Order: sequence, then structure tokens, then C-alpha cells
Amino acid sequence: MKKLRALSFPYVMWMSLTIVLPMALILLVAFSDLNIFRLGSFTFTLEGFSVLRSPVITTAIRNSFRFAFIVTALCFLIGYPVAYLLARSTSRHKTLFVTFLILPVWSNMLLRIVAWERLFFPNSILNMFGISLNLIGTDLAIIIGMISMYLPFMIFPIYSVLDKMDQALIEAAIDLGASRVKTFFKVTLPLSFGGVVSGVIMTMLPAMTAFALPARLSGGRTLLIGNIIEDYFMRTANFNAGSIVSLVMMVLMIVLYLWILRFDKEGETLI
Amino acid sequence: MSEKLTLRLSRVGTILLVIFTYSIIYLPIVIIAFLSFNASSRDQIWTGFSFVWYREILNNPRLLEAIQNTLLIAVLATLISTVLGTLFAIGIHGLSRKQRLKIMVLNNIPVVNPDIVTGISLLLVFSLLPLSFGFQTMLLAHIFFCIPFVVLSVLPKLKTLDPNLYDAAIDLGASRFKALWLVIIPSIKVGILAGSLIAFTMSIDDFVISYFTFGDGFQNVSIWIYSRLGRRTFSPSVYAYNTLVVFVTIVVLSLFNLFGKKQKSIKGEKI
Repeated sequence: MKKLRALSFPYVMWMSLTIVLPMALILLVAFSDLNIFRLGSFTFTLEGFSVLRSPVITTAIRNSFRFAFIVTALCFLIGYPVAYLLARSTSRHKTLFVTFLILPVWSNMLLRIVAWERLFFPNSILNMFGISLNLIGTDLAIIIGMISMYLPFMIFPIYSVLDKMDQALIEAAIDLGASRVKTFFKVTLPLSFGGVVSGVIMTMLPAMTAFALPARLSGGRTLLIGNIIEDYFMRTANFNAGSIVSLVMMVLMIVLYLWILRFDKEGETLI
Repeated sequence: MSEKLTLRLSRVGTILLVIFTYSIIYLPIVIIAFLSFNASSRDQIWTGFSFVWYREILNNPRLLEAIQNTLLIAVLATLISTVLGTLFAIGIHGLSRKQRLKIMVLNNIPVVNPDIVTGISLLLVFSLLPLSFGFQTMLLAHIFFCIPFVVLSVLPKLKTLDPNLYDAAIDLGASRFKALWLVIIPSIKVGILAGSLIAFTMSIDDFVISYFTFGDGFQNVSIWIYSRLGRRTFSPSVYAYNTLVVFVTIVVLSLFNLFGKKQKSIKGEKI
């Protein structure tokens, strides 16, 4: 099959065009006054970076990190035990349970955010049960919304690692006298760490960069980095400032990605 | 004694977490379904059961067009990315381990990258190319983010193949195309099918990447929703559309589950 390796060459070219080139472009546009729509002469400048000192943007960055951290931590605390229970389950409906975790992805995410928004309004269909949640604008609304959207992304990688784990290792630890609690912390948890890393990243990055979710569930009051990026690219068409803010995300993504690569060289825990 | 108690407590706790997980993930979907049957066009009051919004889908030309666009893009992106992704995966499989790992680092970037960064990356590249924003840019963008998932699900299946299979077919007189089509493809079809299913799922639900690459009035359902949120042109028909999609998915996945089980039991009997 070695002769077929030529089939991968067009892919390398395609990825250079769609992955490497844009990264270079973001760098170039961030560090210069280049106008992408009217290519011409441009000068390198660091002046644009002063936007990172504006209070709106520093607050947005702080909000992004805060929500991403809280949501990822909660998703891990909820998701790990659930993944564990599913992986250990001997029920014949096990695949059905797992399938039903994927299913929500088929329902439009934007619409699911809208559904939460409708519930959180002071006037909602819950009024007929005498309940008025009135959560729009609170941190809790954003946290609930994010957990609802991103929890499956935490559970899946952990589940797939736990499901493949050799049961004999756990039996061996128990036979050799380790307590169940000790077995979990010394054997199961370390062996599933690769899945945890993937899960953490697949939850943290979307949470950090969300823009429609915070915009709807905070009534436009809480800004995250995503809202700033959306504004620069889609509303004010200030690609230079937009690229500078995106650069923060890109650097973070690369650092986290290098972390995944330590545990999972080929991305087997990513799907 | 105390360990038994902690075990029992942790089991009860985990079951509660499982219930919480499925509730928080499914609540928005249930709300959407509920609102799709609401006779009122206002989301905050229930005025009675009705199918009016299901009929409305057909009377709302802009929404109908958005649904058609979503399906068109999803089908085309799935077909194209499945074919390309499979061929690329076969090519990558033929490479040396070192080269393969290098390509996989690039391949997995779009999987890990936050959608908003992928979106602006493609926005920048498409702005440079002589492409007008609309159908073509959105389709290219969807093919772009679907291919890595196909590669990721086909590659592990290729690894389980006997490396001499292809050469044997060639030695026995098959042309390269025939060896691929009649020998390799059938033995990795499970991976191809899984990859195309993921691709379709990613495409039909996508909002963020479509948002940064749409134009010229070419909208998919997500963009239709986003541009109408809080406006009078927002119609609960979209709840009906979403509920139909979820319903079809449940039926299809349940059939897959039944079918999969049957196959397994037949295999079991043979052994």
C-alpha cells in the first residue's frame, strides 16, 4: 500500500492553503496595516496591539477565561462519572445510551440556545406552572447554557478511552490488595488521562470562543472574546484589530493542542 | 464497612449525575418540540396544540429555501469530503510513521481549532481568492471541516488491514483502481460510513463557520435563525423543522442500533 502514498500529496497542498496560509495571514494582518480587500503596500506596525489594553477587550478576555474555566471544571466533575458508568455498564442498551448522547448534536445548536433563552426570560411558558426563572443576564444562565451544549464533548473522549481500557488491569490491582478507591486513583484515572485532556480541550475552547450563546443568554450584557471577534470581522470590518484578538485564541489553541499531542499523537481520542 | 457505604453513596450520586446529564442536554430539545406544537406565535404562552407551524414551513419561502440550502450543502459536503477524505487517508496510511504523524498534526488542527478561528481563517483566504461569497464559499468551508473527521475515522480501519492485501490484488492482475475499489474500500467501509455520518452531522448543524463564509443572500437554517432572532420575521416554523430533524434522527439511529445488533448475533451464532 506504500505505492498509494501519492494520494496524500494533494491533501498536503490543500491543507497548506486552508490551514497554514490563514495562520500566516492572521499574523500578517495582526502585525501590519494590510487591507485584505485592497492589497497593496503596507507597513508593519505594533500599534494595533494597543486594543488589547482597552477595558472592553480585557474584560471580554477575562470573562472568556472565567466562564471556560468554570464550565470545563463542572463538565469534568459531571462528565467523568457519567462516562465511567457508561463504559462499565453491562446493560444491553449501552449503545443506545451512548447514541442518545450524540443525538442532540443533530438539533441545531443555535436553536437550543434560543430554547434556553425563552426559558430564562421572566415571561416564559414556565409561567403556567407559576415559575419565572428570570435568569437572562446572570452568569448562571451562561453556565447552564454552556454545560448543556458542551457536556457531550467532555463525556465522549473519556468514555472512548475507558471503554477500551483493559479490565484485567483493574482486577489485577484489586487482587493485589488495592482498595477500589485506590485502584481508581492509581490505575483507572491515570490510564484515562489522554481522554480527559481531549475532553477538557473540546469543552474549554468552544466555551471560551462562544459568541451567540453569551449574546443571547446575557441579553447582550456579557461580552466574551468571541463577541469581540465577531464584531471586528462581521460588523465593523476591522480585520487588523480582529486578527490581533484572534491571535490570543490561536496561541492558546496551539498550546492546548501541543498538550493533546503528548498523549495522543494521531488524534484517536478526538472523535 | 465504611468503604461499602462510600461505594453505595457514589453509585447513587453517579446515577443522579446521569439523570442530570440527560436532562440538561435534552431539556432545550424538548422545549423546542413543545413550542413547535404551540398554536400561538408567541413563545411565552401556550394557547393550545396545533400543527400550524409544520404547515407554515411550506408557506415560508425564505425558511424553505434555507432548509433546502442546508440539506444541499450537507449532502454535497458529505459526499465530496467522504470521497476525498477516504483517498487522503489511504495515501496517509502509505506514508512512513514520521511523515504520517506530521500530516496528522495538520489534519487535526481544524478538529481542535475553535470554530470562530476556523471561520475567520477561511474568511481571510476566501477574501484573497477571486471567489464571491455565497454557495461556493460555504460549500468549500464545509468540505474543509468535514475532511479531517473522515480521515480520522478511516485511518484506524486501514491499520487493521493486512499490509499485503493491496499488493496481492495487484499481483493477481487487478488494476490499481480495481484493487482499491474491490479490495481496500470494502474492508474499510465501516470507517467510511462512520466518517460520512460525522461529516453530515457537522455540516447540517453548523452555524459559526457558515456565518463567516456566507454571502450573496445564500443562507442556511442557522444563518436564517441568527439574522431573525428578536425580529418579527422569526417564525416558530423553524422549531417544527428542528423537531422533524430530531425525529428522523431518532428513527434512523434506532434502526441502525437494531440492525447492528442483528449482525452481531448472527456473527455470534457462526462462532
